[in-house]
Amino acid sequence: MPTELTRIIELLELPFMQRAVMGSVLTGLMGGLLGSFTILRQLSFFSDALGHSTLLGISIGFLLSLDPSWVLLPFSVIFALVVNYILERTQLWTDALLNIIYSSSLAIGIILLSFRDEYRGGITHLLFGDVLAVQKADLAFSAVLLVVCAGFIGLTLRSQILLTLHEPMAIARGVDVSAQRTAFIVLLSLVVGVSIKAIGVLLISAFIVIPACAARLLSRQFNHYILISAGLGAVSAVMGMLLSALFDLPSGPSIVATQLGIFLLAALLSKARILAA
Amino acid sequence: MNDPVLVVQGLTVHRGAYAAVQDVSFTVPSGVDTAIIGPNGAGKSTLVQALLGILPHQSGEVRVLGHPLSAKGYLPPAVRQQIAYLPQNFLVDHRIPITVSELVGWGWDRVGPQLPWAGGRARRLAVRDALAKVEAWRLRDQPISSLSGGETKRVLLAYCLVRPRALLILDEAPAGLDVVAESEFYELLHQLKREQGWAILQVSHDLDMVQRSCDRVLCMNRRILCEGTPDQALAPEQLALAYGPELVRYKHSC
Repeated sequence: MPTELTRIIELLELPFMQRAVMGSVLTGLMGGLLGSFTILRQLSFFSDALGHSTLLGISIGFLLSLDPSWVLLPFSVIFALVVNYILERTQLWTDALLNIIYSSSLAIGIILLSFRDEYRGGITHLLFGDVLAVQKADLAFSAVLLVVCAGFIGLTLRSQILLTLHEPMAIARGVDVSAQRTAFIVLLSLVVGVSIKAIGVLLISAFIVIPACAARLLSRQFNHYILISAGLGAVSAVMGMLLSALFDLPSGPSIVATQLGIFLLAALLSKARILAA
Repeated sequence: MNDPVLVVQGLTVHRGAYAAVQDVSFTVPSGVDTAIIGPNGAGKSTLVQALLGILPHQSGEVRVLGHPLSAKGYLPPAVRQQIAYLPQNFLVDHRIPITVSELVGWGWDRVGPQLPWAGGRARRLAVRDALAKVEAWRLRDQPISSLSGGETKRVLLAYCLVRPRALLILDEAPAGLDVVAESEFYELLHQLKREQGWAILQVSHDLDMVQRSCDRVLCMNRRILCEGTPDQALAPEQLALAYGPELVRYKHSC
């Protein structure tokens, strides 16, 4: 074990590993923070669809010979707002419509990528991400976004909760529901867009949904729930990265597997608490 | 007559292409309990939602404490603070982790950006006092989802009175309560109204309660059909206008 510990310490001294841990912690914090409201507003599938659809944004970037990172963020925001607009007006079922949107945008994205020979082998990177490839600029952007998310949730917390609990009562209190909801969706799409490089198209929604669900099982008060959700997002990121380094496993999937472990533990604790009551 | 808290002039509200409320005018004076009655589909809930800005209105004028409500539903935050609303169905997703104290505390908060810990001790004291007044202090740490119907209504009344209000709007607030719980709810509501000096505007189907407890009655079916004291508005010929000639009210003395 000391040998393993030494190995982890040596790995953590490497700059790329430090950036990877910081990047995954920032993503875990942002995912947990926004995820707390995402699952209660039943937007989990929306975040999943958003993650999958970013592949289309990346493909467009490649086709236009632009850096995909620059295309990804505006694409994510515009895509999220358009989808939200459609969802508010459709007579179809939300999950069915989201399924159409995400599967078709994924399909179109892959077809577009197939036109670029040099990217045919890179699909796996896009699907599962590469947290070890996180650069200083990515970290800086994630840190700024985390501050913006925390500021937004913190300053509008009470309105956000009332809006989540009972929308007509929130409107009657003077909460600008439309503005709050739009701002939340823009932040969610930015978090998804920023995290795709590290976490990948397929796994990003796990960062938003799993820590929040685990936190819900452990919380009775809303304020605690949000803090626990963000905390579990960060803790699972660190633990997942350490497991990844220790057993030489892929980083993103290791973090998601850790989130699953924490969720199962939370479910057991919750059940035990109910039985003990 | 007391100063009007709410003045409605020629209000028309559409639901899609359908005018659910047409050219409605009335006034709610300070400290007066006004009931809105009428058959299902008469536009009562639509009217209430338009007065709160939940629905936009197409024409007419609404003034709350002298301030105009915009067609899209904007009122200055300070005026909003003076209104409390109890909806017809307060169905909370039981998966949302919220305690009684948290819910009542949100009734105290001002609208707009604020720090999560804003209010501090003053907020905690206001929550404690409000819960004590409705005899629900013992429920303070309970999740909202674990409350009975009667307990939920008590907590919602605490949400209303946690801060001084001028106007309380209820849309069939006791819906879902049994006879005893409904009677207790109204008893508490009217006790609080006397103490707080609230003007109340409430949608109700309970004509006996309206007769017993309300000061004024608006009878509507998309338009105002009659308005007056309970004795005037609940007279058989007036009720027949709204509900049809088949409706007969029996008064009993037991």
